[in-house]
Amino acid sequence: MKNNDNIWVGTKDLNGDKEFVENSKKEFFELPVANELSKDESESGLKSNRRDFLKYLGFGLGAATVAAACETPVRRAIPYVNKPDAIVPGVANYYASSFVNGSDFLPVLVKTREGRPIKIEGNKQSPLTEGGTSARAQASVLELYDSTRVKSPGKIKGTSVDKISWADLDKKIGEKLTTNSKVRIVAGSNYSPSIKSAFNEFKKKYPNSKWVSYDASSNSALLLANEKDFGQKAVPNYRFDEADVVINFGADFLGSWISPVEYAKQWSKKRKVKDYKKPEISRMIAFESFMSLTGSNADSRVLIKPSEQGLAIAKLHNEIARAKGGSTVSLDGQLSSEKVEKGVKAAAKDLLEASRAGKKSLVVSGSNNTAEQQLVNHMNYLLGNYGSTIRWDRKTNISQSIDAEMNALIDEVKAGKIDAIIFADGVNPVYSHPRGAELKKGLSKIDLSISTSILPNETFSACSWAAPEPHYLESWGDAEPKTGHFAFVQPTISPLFDSRNMITSLLSWSGKEGSESEDATEYAYQYIRSVWEKNVFPSQSEFMSFRSFWDNALHEGFYELPESANQVVYAGSVSGLGNKINSPVSSGLEIAFFETVNMGDGSYANNPWLQEMPDPLVRTVWDNCLNIPVEWDGGNSIDGWKNLNDGDIVSISNSAAEKDVTVVQQYGMKNDTVALAIGYGREVAGRSGAGVGVNVYPMLSLDSDGNVQYFSSIQVSDKKGVDKSFASVQYHHTFGVSDKDPESGETINVDEKAIVTLSEGYQGSITDRTIIRHADASQLEKAVHDLEHEREHHQHLNEQSLYPGHEDLYNKGHKWELSVDLSACIGCGACQVACISENNVPVVGKSEVRKHHEMTWLRIDRYFYGDFDSPNTAYQPMMCQHCDNAPCENVCPVAATNHSSEGLNQMTYNRCIGTRYCANNCPYKVRRFNWLDYTTADLWGLNENKVFDGESEPFYAENLTRMVLNPDVTVRTRGVIEKCSFCVQRIQEGKLRARTEKRALREADITTACASACPTGAIQFGDVNNEETKVTKDKNDPMTYYALEEVNTQSSVGYKMKVVNRNPDISSVDA
Amino acid sequence: MNYKLLSLCVFLLTFSLTGLTLHAQEGEESESGTAAVDLDAGKSLFRSQCASCHNKNMKDDLTGPALGGTQERWAEYPREDLYTWIRYSQRMISDGHPRATELWGTWKPTVMNNFPNLTDQEIENVLAYIQGVYEGTYPPKAAGEEVAAVDVGTEEDSSNTFLFITLALILFILSFVLARIIGVLNAIARAKAEGTVAPSRSIWQVLTSKSVVGLLIFALVVVGGYTTVNNAINLGRQQGYAPQQPIKFSHETHAGLHKIDCQYCHDGARRSKHSVIPAANTCMNCHRAIKKGSKYGTQELTKVFASIGYDPINDTYIEDYEEMSNEEIADIYKKWIEAEYVKDNELDIIDEEGKLVRDDQWDEIVSSLTNEQKESVAGPIEWVRIHNMPDHVYFNHAQHVTSGQVECEQCHGAVEEMEVLAQYAPLSMGWCINCHRQSEVKGFQDNPYYHKEFEHYHNELQNGEREKVTVEDIGGLECQKCHY
Repeated sequence: MKNNDNIWVGTKDLNGDKEFVENSKKEFFELPVANELSKDESESGLKSNRRDFLKYLGFGLGAATVAAACETPVRRAIPYVNKPDAIVPGVANYYASSFVNGSDFLPVLVKTREGRPIKIEGNKQSPLTEGGTSARAQASVLELYDSTRVKSPGKIKGTSVDKISWADLDKKIGEKLTTNSKVRIVAGSNYSPSIKSAFNEFKKKYPNSKWVSYDASSNSALLLANEKDFGQKAVPNYRFDEADVVINFGADFLGSWISPVEYAKQWSKKRKVKDYKKPEISRMIAFESFMSLTGSNADSRVLIKPSEQGLAIAKLHNEIARAKGGSTVSLDGQLSSEKVEKGVKAAAKDLLEASRAGKKSLVVSGSNNTAEQQLVNHMNYLLGNYGSTIRWDRKTNISQSIDAEMNALIDEVKAGKIDAIIFADGVNPVYSHPRGAELKKGLSKIDLSISTSILPNETFSACSWAAPEPHYLESWGDAEPKTGHFAFVQPTISPLFDSRNMITSLLSWSGKEGSESEDATEYAYQYIRSVWEKNVFPSQSEFMSFRSFWDNALHEGFYELPESANQVVYAGSVSGLGNKINSPVSSGLEIAFFETVNMGDGSYANNPWLQEMPDPLVRTVWDNCLNIPVEWDGGNSIDGWKNLNDGDIVSISNSAAEKDVTVVQQYGMKNDTVALAIGYGREVAGRSGAGVGVNVYPMLSLDSDGNVQYFSSIQVSDKKGVDKSFASVQYHHTFGVSDKDPESGETINVDEKAIVTLSEGYQGSITDRTIIRHADASQLEKAVHDLEHEREHHQHLNEQSLYPGHEDLYNKGHKWELSVDLSACIGCGACQVACISENNVPVVGKSEVRKHHEMTWLRIDRYFYGDFDSPNTAYQPMMCQHCDNAPCENVCPVAATNHSSEGLNQMTYNRCIGTRYCANNCPYKVRRFNWLDYTTADLWGLNENKVFDGESEPFYAENLTRMVLNPDVTVRTRGVIEKCSFCVQRIQEGKLRARTEKRALREADITTACASACPTGAIQFGDVNNEETKVTKDKNDPMTYYALEEVNTQSSVGYKMKVVNRNPDISSVDA
Repeated sequence: MNYKLLSLCVFLLTFSLTGLTLHAQEGEESESGTAAVDLDAGKSLFRSQCASCHNKNMKDDLTGPALGGTQERWAEYPREDLYTWIRYSQRMISDGHPRATELWGTWKPTVMNNFPNLTDQEIENVLAYIQGVYEGTYPPKAAGEEVAAVDVGTEEDSSNTFLFITLALILFILSFVLARIIGVLNAIARAKAEGTVAPSRSIWQVLTSKSVVGLLIFALVVVGGYTTVNNAINLGRQQGYAPQQPIKFSHETHAGLHKIDCQYCHDGARRSKHSVIPAANTCMNCHRAIKKGSKYGTQELTKVFASIGYDPINDTYIEDYEEMSNEEIADIYKKWIEAEYVKDNELDIIDEEGKLVRDDQWDEIVSSLTNEQKESVAGPIEWVRIHNMPDHVYFNHAQHVTSGQVECEQCHGAVEEMEVLAQYAPLSMGWCINCHRQSEVKGFQDNPYYHKEFEHYHNELQNGEREKVTVEDIGGLECQKCHY
């Protein structure tokens, strides 16, 4: 069904669901009291009753009296004994380092205060990401302070460790190993020059040892295909910033595929419209079966069944080959529908047109079938993309694992052919491999099994010895993420626990001299230095002495050798590949498995910041829910498939396993297809990760090449029940909703009750509110004119006011504003986690989110528009709009929220008395109320919130966890409102720096956490009274609009229209 | 009886008013009497120029003679001679002036400084001040002492309060009297109308009447509420807080006597939000040379050595000091205290008393450097924090010291005079705000930061529309300058 005018968030919205409409009128959602208090309904575990309330009341009064009578406590000021030169208490130090976790790599700057890391920033110098970050990297600082970390080496007992010393451990290992021992090291892709070198030392001592790279979410087929076609078992250097047409077969390159931040940066460069009259933006056509993050950012989507991806690739390949004179492959089998057939033709047309026009294109696929990847390679070769959008000069090293190797290892383990096995890098195949259970059984037969994981996990529990590695923020390390690009990992804090660097461990076990020294960190440092001196330093000519080379590289965080010409030529052939692609299953239900931006392959499960970050698309938290398609009944209603609703429980089963899952409706799904995220359902994962969601790894299967296949046939039962803990922020804080007035039949704004029904042209009268503006590139000029006209009308309305304007007030001094380019926002959530990290935003837990009590200052609203069955998606980061005419300020009885001369809507917590009038009056619904003492900041802990089941003390009460708090931002107590402050602490810091350095303020001095975290540069922050800043330029851009401009809030956050570049042929397919 | 009361009130009223008038006249008189010389100017001159040699009480000798009665002693010579004596005393002695020669005989070889720059008027001021102090007329006392109330007149602050109290009292009496009159008149009117005389209520009845009791309760609530609110506002404020510190560190000695710059030790003040309590190694910059204090000897300084692990006998830092037990540490420092005791008392070997002194000192050092959480003597010195801000206040020293160029003394008071450091300022929000209202932005003209965005202020300054730019003008009163 086609509907280009509508913008919606979900089914309830489209159907005008009564409950939804009712809730959107209210700022505060309240569960019925009976529900809350009755035992069987309550999920919160609320045990208090009225008598408890009276008791607490009495205690509270008494406590307050006692507190008032108390003397002020004696506080201590503890200085250093020997103050390090580099540290000035109260001033942050930044260190260039790299976030490395398996195949996740990101150049970062680590902000430390008084010697403790508190925030991750992107490294703007790095040519890979240019300062972009991801939600995972932003949240990694919390993992450092995880109190469930493995605290010492020793014998593993379940999830705990019987402590022994490193010397004893080394001795025990030495005793068990002989020169002939078959040792296997299972780790992530090894792209660290120093670990490689250390492993070579190890191999000298134990020649029968082998390094097995294992990535739970692998790109094995891509590597194998490249080996066959180019002789390179590697991922090439993709250049999305060169491609005008991107055809994507299920590669989630903006979310989780290989190097998403790098690709997002590149891709977004081709997506920002500089001149609306000539919108030259790239086009992405996505062939996928469910709505992935990358697919949601595609211009046109072609829905295919998971099993027919190979056929679709092959058909496209043949189209291209026929046109370009290459050899085609013979195929049998049919595409599931005419639409797909047309989609393939349309994609081929785009590719060939681009090729004819001398433009560049790129075909990528996330397929884990070698033949399919070879066809993709051939297509790219025929289109002449090698050398331009795909290069071999700086190939990517972060993904190296071959599924078959791991599979073979499990066979070896089962057969008991191995003497020792070491699991490094936190790899967790017992959980994440389809044959994990077999591996677990096999491990008990192995004499020596070691886990170096920093957090207990399933594999750790199945091993006998723990040799914990330090967190990346406390250790030395290096990496070569791309050939010729060397990066550093440097420690920013002393190791919190008794851990030892993998380099030192490997060298100790290989009996290298000096490795038994006391200071393992120093030893690792010296070793890395020596490796660089030997391997990296000689290949450069920029620096004369190693010392200056080293110091410079360490300061920058990386060193890049000049590009060297790489003579890699296509030497593949496609003959016979037609039979090797996955054969489409003609009927029956299929399921696609995918990786999410927050949970990854499951190694981030114990990070509450990521668990509570809503899924960008289905917007659920603390769970992986089965995405099911929605169906239009042909009338007024859109329902979930099988009439399933959000939060219903069904059981899914395939030949390998059966699981009960919660369902969530999702747009843009192929019929007869469901989708479910991997990375959930951890069993051994500390307090926040264990038991969240379901583990679907056992449902995966291996194809004939040994590659893991991320789809399967599936049976789904009927509704089995309702998940009472289901938490999704989908319908929370909705605004700008319009609906039919039951009395007059007119379209009204349901989220604003007080509507003046005079007539058009009066302030507050019925206007159709659009908070998302979008246009197709072909109609952009018209859309911009329409917008201009509309804004003129709004501004005319706003001028009809008795009150004086604010122009004179805010056109002097500083005036801070934010702009968001909706075309560049990909919904990755890095900004949201950055905001949490910067502003001490608490974790509230699943049951609190369910009550609409999430505390995030910045939410990313996801809207759909266009066709109901395959809509386009717009992500809108929504934070406090810092309105110059703020509705919240007028209603505060104690003036706790008011306006600053710099245009900031200020929130003063110590003045707030918690009436919540402001939140009620906020049209954008961005104010958050501290219902409970989430951060344990109160003097008397009465209403502290326990995030996890069975916790003895609240999450933030632990001293170790509290080390992550930003000391420049107040930790809010119960009963006050909070909201985005435009990172006022950063504004103040930047201004102060300029003032003390006696210079004018520069644009680079001040930016908000969200803007700095954004991988695509969609968010810009700055002073609009300075005409040089990017934000001023955005403000003056005719594509910029303001959400709810007609209600005269005079907001300070400008949104730049979302522009897509649809392929008209594919859009018409659905008609 | 009622008329008696009335006349008493009228009498009292008249009396008080007369008293006030009387006082006002006297005030004028005393002012006109001392118009020729300025005693206060004399005082400040005396303090700056003379007080280092001449006693402040004018009655006792110091380096120089007591100055009381100078004018009488010089009365037989021309006034100019006294001026010359003060300006050029040595010249006058060599000229052989009899009075000068007499004084030189008593006081030689002490030479009085020359003061060629003093004007005649200034000398007169000083002389008048000297005489005033000598005779006890300066500082001036209350003029009229017969009515106690008038005494308040000398201090301006309380004079208003007194006036208010008097006025309130008068008004109260007046209303009381009027109420009585009305009551009596009503009673008469009633008596006339009804023909009977209502029994008048006794004082007791009046006092226990509903309206009086109600009024009292109301007053109690108002006063109670007022006190509660005031006390609540003061909760957590610690002006004057001067706790005992683990080391008897004297700011008077360091900042006052030795004039060490504040920011030598508090080196964070210019570049950080914290002024920073100096690390023990900062102390060692000087105290490696000065190993014993002038006041406490080895007692206090040994605490610094014991914290950082400095061996004062061998002038070395002790290796692996953190790993040493308290007993091992005790051996090192007891030896040091002992050695110094022996040296001070010129003994060959420590005596019994010395042993006692040594052990007492060490016990005190251990108790100062350790607590429940910190068992080892080694490690940081845990000072008691004096300036405590609530968590919701963001204060940045660099902002004030470097950017705002505020002197440390402005908020911390005369630290150089504090033996034990005390909190000088109330650190209340009102106090902050007040300063932000009044303070001018330093460097507004020179600092390029203020040029572009604050052009409008520069224009106004140039046009003369504006005298100065205060912190308030650039947003210094806004909530989120200090609360975020």
